[in-house]
Amino acid sequence: MKEIATFMVNEKHYELAIEPHMLLVEVLRDELGLTGTKHSCGIGSCGACTVLIDGRPVLSCLTLALTVRGKDITTIEGLAQGTTLHPIQKAFVEHGAIQCGYCTPGMILSAKALLDKNLNPTDKEVKHALSGNLCRCTGYVKIIDAVLAAAEAMSKEAHP
Amino acid sequence: MSQKLSVVGKRIIQPDAAAKATGNAIYVSDITIPGMLIGKVLRSPYPHARIKRIDKSKAENLSGVEAIITPEDTAQWQKFDRGLKDLPMIAGGYTVPADEGVLNERARHFGDAIAALAAINEHIAEEALELIEVEYEELPFAIDPEEAMKPGAPQISDFAGRNIGKHMPYAFPEGDADKALGGADCVVEGTFTTTKQEHCTAETAAAVARIDISGRLIVWSQCQLPHLARREIAHIFNMPVHKVKMITPFIGGSFGQRGSLCAEPICIALALKTGKPVKLVYSREENFIALESRTGFKCNLKIGFNKDGTLTAIQVYMLGRLGGYMGCGPMASAIGMIFGLGHYRCPNRAGEADMVMTNTPVSGAFRGFGNPAIMWGIEQLVDEAAERLNIDPLTIRLKNIKRAGETANMGLRLESTYLEECIKQGAEAIGWREKWGKKKEGAIRRGVGLATMTHCSGAAPLYLDHSNAFIKLNEDGTADLVVHPAPVGQHIWGALSQIAAEELGIHAGDINIVTGDTDVTLFEYGSDASRSTYVIGNATLMAARNAKEQILARAAEMLDISPEELKISDRKISSRVDPKKSISVAEVCYDAIYNFKGECLNISGKCSWESKWNSPPTGAFFAEVEVNTETGKVTVRRLVTAMDCGKAINPMAVEGQLEGGMQQGIGYGLTEDYVINKDTGVVETDNYDSYKMPGILDMPETKVIIIDEPDPKGPFGAKGVGEPGMVGVAPAIANAIYDAIGVRIRDLPITPEKVLDALGSG
Repeated sequence: MKEIATFMVNEKHYELAIEPHMLLVEVLRDELGLTGTKHSCGIGSCGACTVLIDGRPVLSCLTLALTVRGKDITTIEGLAQGTTLHPIQKAFVEHGAIQCGYCTPGMILSAKALLDKNLNPTDKEVKHALSGNLCRCTGYVKIIDAVLAAAEAMSKEAHP
Repeated sequence: MSQKLSVVGKRIIQPDAAAKATGNAIYVSDITIPGMLIGKVLRSPYPHARIKRIDKSKAENLSGVEAIITPEDTAQWQKFDRGLKDLPMIAGGYTVPADEGVLNERARHFGDAIAALAAINEHIAEEALELIEVEYEELPFAIDPEEAMKPGAPQISDFAGRNIGKHMPYAFPEGDADKALGGADCVVEGTFTTTKQEHCTAETAAAVARIDISGRLIVWSQCQLPHLARREIAHIFNMPVHKVKMITPFIGGSFGQRGSLCAEPICIALALKTGKPVKLVYSREENFIALESRTGFKCNLKIGFNKDGTLTAIQVYMLGRLGGYMGCGPMASAIGMIFGLGHYRCPNRAGEADMVMTNTPVSGAFRGFGNPAIMWGIEQLVDEAAERLNIDPLTIRLKNIKRAGETANMGLRLESTYLEECIKQGAEAIGWREKWGKKKEGAIRRGVGLATMTHCSGAAPLYLDHSNAFIKLNEDGTADLVVHPAPVGQHIWGALSQIAAEELGIHAGDINIVTGDTDVTLFEYGSDASRSTYVIGNATLMAARNAKEQILARAAEMLDISPEELKISDRKISSRVDPKKSISVAEVCYDAIYNFKGECLNISGKCSWESKWNSPPTGAFFAEVEVNTETGKVTVRRLVTAMDCGKAINPMAVEGQLEGGMQQGIGYGLTEDYVINKDTGVVETDNYDSYKMPGILDMPETKVIIIDEPDPKGPFGAKGVGEPGMVGVAPAIANAIYDAIGVRIRDLPITPEKVLDALGSG
């Protein structure tokens, strides 16, 4: 039995009729066409499906969509302003932190959750914040570089 | 070769990076087409079973189910080799038997495809799958190669006597290894085993297929070899090649797994059956059990040395586990022997391999192919010999590595090698002199170790190494480069842009990559064997050179000077004699297209390139480890990779390849164990909760050293660098463990249990 629910995704309201068993990742990808959120392991082990709910990183492959109605959902599509990239996206691009790119949206959102709280993270803090996101291409080295560079850029932006 | 370069060698930003950072990049899994159905596959719960009966009536009656196919339906199509080698591609006329149907009446491994269906959505498809009733007749099965070769073992394929799918001799034998081993001052030998490592691509296997109104089949595929896949698919489905069009969107990781057909055949069969577009995306569990993963080997190695440390003989017998179908596995042994036995200078070399069919998921190509398996043993034995001969591990290697001008691993002239620099610079970076061979005390002990390796830049002369590039100049002085590498994340679009731009004297950003559609691209063997930068790169360079000659000829006419006098750089053509005489590339291209003097020309260049060369990249890997002698836990503290990959077209991209190789090498070395239950044939590790792929916290401090010396044959001196990065990691770790605690682990992965066992028996 479908239920009508309102979702707030990337600051826009969507009224959708969805089945109670539908996962957030399905609603985002299949109902809203926001395919930047990736499905990869299906058991919450890889972090590719990470989105932000009220600023906190959440695994959308383990989240029933109805449980997050009305909450503030941010997907990778919500970060750039037009063609202007968010500083974390810009840093990932410039530091070669993206190879196949399939884990990238989840990585960037996990990084955003960290940097929104802490603009001066240590290496260790970055690693811990991204420890739920698996990447098979990069060896994580340039991802760490990118997050630290983004922190610096955002910090300068916040305190010019 | 010293050349002033303005685009090559720069750390440019990849053309596809922003799309991937914003969620704008489209992967196969993201594609939706109006009317598209969702496919699902029913898989065997048994390792070996005959399908006696399939009752699909209940599933068919479920509303929303459009078609169910069984082996009976797919018998009309040709059997095939998923590794695409049943059709000619390998030199010497070797082809792999076509032993697999789209669906098969006898399941040959846990997870083998029995039936498939298409429904209007994922949930109905899943529900319907559970309604299909299958009656199996369980058959005796064989999991290990040794047991599969025994008399009375179940026969897995008709052509494979004793289940030996393929006996492989070493391709470049020399001298008399037996005799030389008999006369050697020091012989080191041992049996080394390696595991079936899973690729763990971030995106699981996926395909979308659609038949258009004219009967053409359009396939959105992740295949690394799209043109070979097109030929194979046309063959399987009894269609002429021109009726098949392959589209390559972004690919969420491959590492060799997508060098074989994955989700395509079943997806296409469902599209043909329903007449509607079908999308088939494998679950993570299916990715583990239905696709090829790294070939596991048992290697019996013997190496002989003279007293002074000169290597005199090497001999290997490799026993490999293929799984239920042939796939790419057989060549893993051939390639492994070529790289392993041909790595050091050695006058007496012999090797053979038996590649055995078993009732296990299929084996195939994974970064490095058979090279990591053979070097796992060789590099440990070289250390063992060094110790017995009282020579240090650096010196024994420096003594035996090949020099430029000698014969390289593939039987071709070794044009360049800087392995000596790799060893020396890597040793310096890890602090070898201060750390190696020191007395260790306490429960937690540190050690350092090294391993070296050689790989390839392409598949010549073993495979037909054929690439094409076409480049056309627009009237604004930019260029469209038509090529078809597989964009698996290796930054190949950027590298080819740099090569083309350097030759044309324009900027990398002036190159637009036109790709991913076999209707548009010329033939391309594809992206494997670390060949894209080297072989497609050379094709691109020659196509650009061809176009450049036309630009210079037109410019010379426009400036009224001789073409030899001209140089081209920074989007401008100017006289070397009188720099004031100049014209922009854009002006020349515009004038050529909108020419009212009766000389219209769209400047364009083309190259059909069949690589006859193969410049092996060489590298040295250094590991520093910490071993807890009470728990057996090994922690890698530092990894250094020093790589001679010729001129780095983009050092940032090269670093990325080598850093990624470290992660895969640590997993191969320490944590990744593909476990098959010997009693049931069931794969017990089918997702990341049971199969440990290294995360960010498992990574040590790392350092990449790029030697950056150009090779005479590569485009602007580049060699391949896609695969080498993981080859030496595991043996370097094993050698470091030996340095720390004095025991050798010969069986991958190096688990705490094995370390404790070794310490106990030592």
